Amino acid sequence: MRSNRRRALLALSIPISAAIALSGCTSGPSSSPASTAKETLTLGMTADITGWDPSNQPAYQNYPMEAIWDTLIRCDANGKPTPGLATSWKISDDQRTLSATLRTGQKFSDGTPADSAAVKATFDYAANSGAGSARYKGLKVEAPDATHVSITWPTANPLIVLNTCNVAITTPKVLATKSFTTPVGSGPYTLDKSGTTQGSVYSFSKNNAYWDAKDYPYKKLVVKVITSDTAVLNALKTGQIDGSLITTSTVNQAKSSAGVKIYTLKGPETTRLLITDHLGKVIPALGNVDVRRAMNMVFDKQAIADKLYLGNAAPASQIFKPGSDAYIAGMKDPYPYDVAKAKALMKQAGYEKGFTLTIPVIANTGVDQLMPYVTQQLGLINIKVEQKALSGPNMYNDLLGGKYPVPLWPLGNYGESLQDIYDYVLQGGIWNVEHQPDATVDGLWKTITMTSGDARTKAEQQINTYITDQAWFVPMAYPNSFYAYSSKITVQPTSDYAGLNPQLQNFK
Amino acid sequence: MLAISIGKKLVRAVAVLLVVTFVTFCMMFGNADGIAKGVLGLDAQPSDVQKEVVKLGLDQPLLVQYGKWLLGVVTGNLGHSFFTGQSVNEALATRVPVTFSLVIVTLILTMLLSVVIGVTSAIYGGWIDRCVQFLTVLGAAVPAFIIGVALVFAFAVAIPLFPATGYVPLTQDPSGWSKSIALPVLALLIGSVAGAASQIRGAVLDVQGRDFVRTLRARGIRETPLLFRHVLRSASGPGLTALSLQTIALLGGAVFVEQIYALPGIGQLANTAAQQGDVPIVMGIVLVTIVFVLIVNLLGDVANAALNPKSRVR
Repeated sequence: MRSNRRRALLALSIPISAAIALSGCTSGPSSSPASTAKETLTLGMTADITGWDPSNQPAYQNYPMEAIWDTLIRCDANGKPTPGLATSWKISDDQRTLSATLRTGQKFSDGTPADSAAVKATFDYAANSGAGSARYKGLKVEAPDATHVSITWPTANPLIVLNTCNVAITTPKVLATKSFTTPVGSGPYTLDKSGTTQGSVYSFSKNNAYWDAKDYPYKKLVVKVITSDTAVLNALKTGQIDGSLITTSTVNQAKSSAGVKIYTLKGPETTRLLITDHLGKVIPALGNVDVRRAMNMVFDKQAIADKLYLGNAAPASQIFKPGSDAYIAGMKDPYPYDVAKAKALMKQAGYEKGFTLTIPVIANTGVDQLMPYVTQQLGLINIKVEQKALSGPNMYNDLLGGKYPVPLWPLGNYGESLQDIYDYVLQGGIWNVEHQPDATVDGLWKTITMTSGDARTKAEQQINTYITDQAWFVPMAYPNSFYAYSSKITVQPTSDYAGLNPQLQNFK
Repeated sequence: MLAISIGKKLVRAVAVLLVVTFVTFCMMFGNADGIAKGVLGLDAQPSDVQKEVVKLGLDQPLLVQYGKWLLGVVTGNLGHSFFTGQSVNEALATRVPVTFSLVIVTLILTMLLSVVIGVTSAIYGGWIDRCVQFLTVLGAAVPAFIIGVALVFAFAVAIPLFPATGYVPLTQDPSGWSKSIALPVLALLIGSVAGAASQIRGAVLDVQGRDFVRTLRARGIRETPLLFRHVLRSASGPGLTALSLQTIALLGGAVFVEQIYALPGIGQLANTAAQQGDVPIVMGIVLVTIVFVLIVNLLGDVANAALNPKSRVR
C-alpha cells in the first residue's frame, strides 16, 4: 500500500509539473508596457470596424479611419471647416458648391498623388456606391486641374461642410476595383499588415510625409479591439493600452486606479424618447399634442441624471447640445415633472385610460437599463409599455423601419446642430422613423438653406422651439462619456463635432 | 472489425456535419435586407440595398445558397466575409489557433489531472475521496468566467505575473504564448477537471466492484497491474465519454473566457458575425467547430476501442 501511495503521488506530481511548466509561472507577464514616450501609442477600441471601405467607417472610435485617410477638409468641434487635403475653399452663395484648392506633394501609401482626380473619384463613389450615399446623391464633381476641385450638390445643402469632411479620400484604382482588403490613404499613418490581425489588433506606422505630421507625435499606433469592460479596465491598469473609452459601470474603478486618468466627455448624447408619430397615423393618441406633453411630464429628469446615471449626466429638456446653434440657453423646461398635471392632460386629450405602446430594445445599448423606469413612469398615465427585444442582422432595420414609432435611444448630439435637425427632425431623417411631413419644419429648413450666420441660427432655434412646444421628443438626460488614459500620455479636448471620443490628433 | 466500426462512425460524423450546417444555414436565412443594410450603412438607399442583396447572393433560394456553400467546403473555399471582405479561410486561420490553443491545452491537462484525481479518489476513499468530491462539486458549480475574472484580478492586476489581456502566437514566441494562455486555461481547467474527475471516479468505483476484479484479486494479481491492466481499461469508456463531453463544454466556456482576456479567438468572431448576419463567417466557424468535436469524439472512440476490446463488438 505504501509503495502504491508513493507511486500515486509521483504520478500526481507529473501532470502538476507539466501544468506549471506550460503555464510558465516562473516569470512575469511577457507584454511590455504599452508605450515608450512618443514611440508607440496603444489605444483600445470597444467595437471593431467593418472592413476597409473608406465610405463605411464608424463615426464612433474612428481611429483607423483617421489614421489611414485624409479628408478634403476637417470639421472642428463646432462643425466649422479647417484645412485638410485642401488648403483653402469657398462655398457658393447658393450653398450648393464647395470649391477647394488642394495642397501639393501629398501622396497615397501606394505612391500615387493625392490630387483632384482622387478627390473626384472618391466623391463620385460616395454618390453612387458608397455607404450613406443618400447624402451625396446627385452631386457633380469637377477637377479642372490637379490641384482644384469643385463639388456641387443638386440642391442647397446647409450640411455641405459636414458632408465634405466625412469623406475619406482614396485612390481611383481602389474605388474602381473595390479592393478594400488593404486600405490606401494619404493620412498620418499607414497600415502595418504584419502587426495587424483583423478584428483584434491594428498596427500603423507613421507617415512622415503627411502635411500635419507634427500633430501626430507617435511613430507607431496600435489599436486593440477589446469589447469587454473588464478587459479594458484590466488592460489600462496593467499598462497594456494607453487609453480607451470606458463605461459608467467601470469609471469609479478607473478613477481609483494608480496611473489612470479620466477625461470626461460632457453630454455627447441625449437620452430621449423619439415620438415620431406626430400625426397619429400609427397610434392615434400620439397625434394629440397633450398626450405627447403628458409623456414629457412623467419623467423626473434630475432624478434620472442623479440616480439612473449615478450623477454622470445632466438633465435635458432640449435635444440639442448645449452651446450648439439650435440650443436655447436659459430655456426653462416647459415640462417640469408633474404626474398630476400629466394625468390631467391625458384626460383633456380623451386618453385617460391610456393606450399600449411598444418600445424596441436592443441589449447592451443602455436602453435596456432605462426600460424599467420608462415603463414604470409611463404606466402612471396608463400608457402600457410592451418591450420588443430586437436582435440579429435585422435589428437596426426593424428599429429604423417605422414599425415602432417611439424608439428610446441615447443619440448623439452634435456641435453642429444642423446634423441633429437633419437626422432627427426632417421628414427624411434617419431617426424620424415614421417620416411624417411637417410644413413648419420644412419652412424653417428652407430658411436655413437660404441663409447663414445669425439668420440661420435664428431659424434653427425656431425649430427647437417648435419641436419642444409640439413635444416631438421626451429628452431626459445628457449622459457623460468617459475616456480613461495612462498618466504617461496627454489627451487634449476632443476636436471633432460629434465629440464622442478624443481624436487621434488629440493624443500627445 | 475496428476498421468497420471506424468507417461507420465516419459516415455518421458526415451526416451530423450536414444536418448541423444545414440547420445553422436555415437559421441565418431570411435576413437579406438587414445584412445588406449592415454592409452598406444605415443611410443606404433601398435601391442600393437591393443591389447589395443580389451581389451577396442573398436573393437566391435557401437550397441554392446552401449548395454553393457546400461546394465551397469541398473545394476548400469558404467564401469571404460580407462585411470586411476578408477570406473566411484567412479569418479562421488567425482565430482558430487561439481558441484551440485554449481548448486543447485544457483538454490535455484535464485528461492528466482528472484521471489522477479520479483514480486516487476511487482507490483511497476516506478523507481523500471526501475532499475530492467537495472540491469537484465546488469547481463544477462556479462558472469559468467568474473564475477567469478572479484570476485576472489576482495574477495580472494585483500581482502582475501574467498579462491581463492579449494573445501571443505559439510560432511567434512559445514562452509568451504559454504566459498569455496560462490564466484562461486555468479558468477553464478548474470546472473541466471537476466534471471529468467526478465521472472517472464513478467509473473506477463501478468497475472495482465487479466480480471479475474480485476474482483477479483472489487469484493473487497485485493491485498496480490490476489497476492499470484491468480496472482502468474497463473504466476507460465512461471516462473517455466524459472527456469528449468536456470538449464541447470547453468550446462554450472559451467564448466567455476570450471576452475577459480579450483573446482574438473564434468566440469573439462568432458573436459579432452572428449579430451582423455574416453568414460565411458563421458557417465557417460552425464547420470548424463541428469537425473538431467530431474528431475528438472519433479519437475517443478509437482510444476506447484500443483500450477496451469489449467495446469493439458493440
